[in-house]
Amino acid sequence: MCGISGVASFHPIHDRLYEGVHQLEYRGYDSCGVAFVENRHIEVRKDVGTVDEVDSRTNLRNLAARVGIAHTRWATHGKVTRENAHPHLSCDGAFAVVHNGIIANYRVLRERLQHAGHRFRSETDTETIAHLVEDHHRRTGDVESAWVATLRELEGSYALAMISVHDPDRIYCARQESPLIIGVGTDSNYVGSDFNAFIEYTKNAVILDDGEYGIVSQDSYAIKRVRDGEVVEKPVMVIPWDSELSRKGGYPHFMLKEIHEQPQAARAALAIENNAFRDLVEEMAQARRIYLIGVGTTYYVALYGQYLFAELADVAVLPVSSDEFRYLDKSDPDTVVLAISQSGETYDTLMSLRHAKERGAKTAAIVNVVGSSIARLVDYAILQGSGPEVCVVSTKAALAQMVLLTRLAIELGGVRGKLAANVRDEAYTALRRLPEEIEALLNERSGLIRAAAYRHAHMRNWLFLGRGIYYPIALESALKMKEVTYLHVEGMPGGFLKHGTLSLVDENLYTLVFVPPRDSGELYTLTVSCVEEVRARAGYVIGLAFDPAPGLFDEAVPLQASHWLTAPLLPLVAAQLLAYFTATALKRNVDKPRSLAKSVTVA
Amino acid sequence: MKALVLTGGAGRALVPFSATRPKAMTVVAGGSLLRRTLAYLREAGITDVTIVLGQHGHVVENAFGDGSGLGLNLSYVRQESAQGIADAILRARDKFTVAEYFVLVYGDVVTSSNPFLLLLQSFNTFKSPIAGVCLPGPPTARYGNVYLSGTRITKIVEKPRAAGLGNYVLSGMFVLPTELFSWVEEAGRDMERVFDRLTAGVGVHASIWEEGWIDVEYPWDVLAANRLVMDTWEEAQISRHATLDNNVTIVGPVRVEAGSTIRAGAVLAGPCYIGRDCYVGNNVLVRSYSSLGPGSTVGYGVELKNCVVFGRARIGRLSFIGDSVVGEEVDIGSGTMTVNETMDRQPIGVNILGSRVDSGLKKLGAFIGDRAKIGAGNTLAAGTIVDAGAVIEHHTTVPRAE
Repeated sequence: MCGISGVASFHPIHDRLYEGVHQLEYRGYDSCGVAFVENRHIEVRKDVGTVDEVDSRTNLRNLAARVGIAHTRWATHGKVTRENAHPHLSCDGAFAVVHNGIIANYRVLRERLQHAGHRFRSETDTETIAHLVEDHHRRTGDVESAWVATLRELEGSYALAMISVHDPDRIYCARQESPLIIGVGTDSNYVGSDFNAFIEYTKNAVILDDGEYGIVSQDSYAIKRVRDGEVVEKPVMVIPWDSELSRKGGYPHFMLKEIHEQPQAARAALAIENNAFRDLVEEMAQARRIYLIGVGTTYYVALYGQYLFAELADVAVLPVSSDEFRYLDKSDPDTVVLAISQSGETYDTLMSLRHAKERGAKTAAIVNVVGSSIARLVDYAILQGSGPEVCVVSTKAALAQMVLLTRLAIELGGVRGKLAANVRDEAYTALRRLPEEIEALLNERSGLIRAAAYRHAHMRNWLFLGRGIYYPIALESALKMKEVTYLHVEGMPGGFLKHGTLSLVDENLYTLVFVPPRDSGELYTLTVSCVEEVRARAGYVIGLAFDPAPGLFDEAVPLQASHWLTAPLLPLVAAQLLAYFTATALKRNVDKPRSLAKSVTVA
Repeated sequence: MKALVLTGGAGRALVPFSATRPKAMTVVAGGSLLRRTLAYLREAGITDVTIVLGQHGHVVENAFGDGSGLGLNLSYVRQESAQGIADAILRARDKFTVAEYFVLVYGDVVTSSNPFLLLLQSFNTFKSPIAGVCLPGPPTARYGNVYLSGTRITKIVEKPRAAGLGNYVLSGMFVLPTELFSWVEEAGRDMERVFDRLTAGVGVHASIWEEGWIDVEYPWDVLAANRLVMDTWEEAQISRHATLDNNVTIVGPVRVEAGSTIRAGAVLAGPCYIGRDCYVGNNVLVRSYSSLGPGSTVGYGVELKNCVVFGRARIGRLSFIGDSVVGEEVDIGSGTMTVNETMDRQPIGVNILGSRVDSGLKKLGAFIGDRAKIGAGNTLAAGTIVDAGAVIEHHTTVPRAE
């Protein structure tokens, strides 16, 4: 998903294009750029990075021009390079185009244009459009008819905006299956992929429908049909909401949105081809030592991975928190360091990888952001494809990382001959059922968890207990809960209770227990004994349990799982909901908890 | 965009108030449910509103007229007898032109803040039919279960929710295309089939409401709704046109409207509400979550606690009204007591249309219908219903000497 912004104004643009794409960054970003007309010439400034990074390198603000377009790109496949960033120019530099969507027939068009002598600078489908307009303009001499002729040749989905030196006061735009909106201001008009591109400046908007194109100037706009050039009269609508609300797509908070996107994030993680792991798995199979590193949530993901690698691949891996790694790093050329990072920019993790690399280790990473520093640094990058995560508190990215570690452990087990083919198949079948199981939980348990959260929101001290692979789940859940509710929540292994923590237990401390399925043997019975220890001391125990035994807990949220391998991820989702609803009951700033930042890029 | 608000449901379980007013005209926190809904629509930029009226529809018309007082352009459609939602929707068909979307709202729902901003936002995101969904408090069997995949609604199970399920439910607000009118007709006025067609066809996206939401069905739901609204109040608002004697104690978010008089010794503990032109006598104790509607008179030493008084009531001296709802123009004689708990402190059952319904509340007073008269010195048992217009004589234990 990408973002388009454009301004045609009586006044200099200044930072309005910058602000526009900045507001669209939630749609994802790995590169961005602007184009504007100045002295009969189009200037393009674009590069790889966040809007702020590109701005600091190329200056996207202080633009004196009065007409310009901008773009923020989020590559789902293909390279993240300066050349591939938008806007794209035609050969003669007279047309600049930004684009969302996919032009299905671009190869055919590209070949034809190359035959006609056009020289392409990028691999994108978008650049084809710029050359095509130039080509038509050579024949017609008129920008609008060249634009229409171009649109008629395009197949696929697009939202487009274009500027040209041949008509320097106007922005040409069009829509086919990708949203595009015109913002109507007092002394400026705007285009955008959504309201956020211009909502700071005007709340009046006209929405283009499929098959329509628009011509926008500083004091007017026209919308016409591509088919027959007929003018379409459209009502101006007033946007009554604030810009942040409009990015949440039906959800009250990004956190809930991203919790609900987890089935999709899991599917995306499962859709990654095995080839993407093959070389890394070979490398891991030969390594003498494997470190899993991450920090905060991703450290708990690494801990989770430790249990999987032990169970499925019969390998002892060392999970280390990235901020401590430099003190423990014993890397050598026989070492693989696998890092986990949503943003791919986490400072401690980046430094740890560099440290290990200097010592000759092979490096790998599971990252969400394409083209990020970590993705570019490591020898093997696995892109998790979870889509942009906006809420500071990580949910879907962490879950997808756990799914990917499960796959890596299965593959490594296979290569090492520790996992029978039927067990491997069974494990993949379980993984493929996971998205539906999460969806069922979100559908049928949300109300129970919300009711519990509102009932217990007054409790200021919590203990989250788990054993075995449920221990890292308890840790990660406790982190979620404290990040977003500001309550004191401790995650710990159940076995720790009688070694100290039990003295804390009284009626002012609630305990959430992550209970494995009842057929988990000793893991289950030992977990149950924790429950009894706490209850014997007047502690209140809430169980996240599969088929909870009656009377075992003070209350339970019943969960359903089909396989031990994916079962731990269900109480994780339940605990995310508990954290979310507790935070809303306490009226916390859910998406931006105090003192926290999404991506920690400092030491 | 226009809105269609349905108020025609009989709401029979909302005794004794359904005998004299539509459910949407139930009062909480100083205003009717419908007034709040209309104000929210206006705030969301919707000014053309059609209201479907059922029995006692004149109460709505008398309250809002042409809507100009609210900055709205209101029109009315009559549905003389309650024939369901499909019928109500079809009656308003002429008010909506083809090929547009409209907002459909059930009039008996209370939310803690404006739900239409999010609803319209969802619509602008998806440009497809939208259904508001929410998670009601404790799961009950009252609502259909919504199943989501992302925000897309995959199915709506209209049967009562099975035990242990905590699904999202329809929150009674939608953005729908006007084609709906034909679909309702084609589906034989069966709303379940209409929704099936919508979810299977063009698709319906959910707009997820996280904040408070109450669908008023039973009389004690009025108290919960009142609480829901008052919990959003953060500060006291005393009209400059109210008269407060010396030695009136104000604690927390207390609202006092213009023209009201509060006599010395009164204690107002917020959140609470005193409407326009009320008289609150000496030493009256208004405890939290009490809402006193406009034009009411409260005599010396009365205690109000967690109660809603619709308006123009007279509450005689030294009475206690707690965990109760009092209709419009009710006259309560002095020394009247609403008992609000049972001796065994168990949840209180209420006789709703001949059968006992457990309120789940251990403290519950009386529900007194519009224009009832209660003589002095009466004691009303916990969970009592007093019918609209009923007259209860003075309670006297000492006979007059002949």
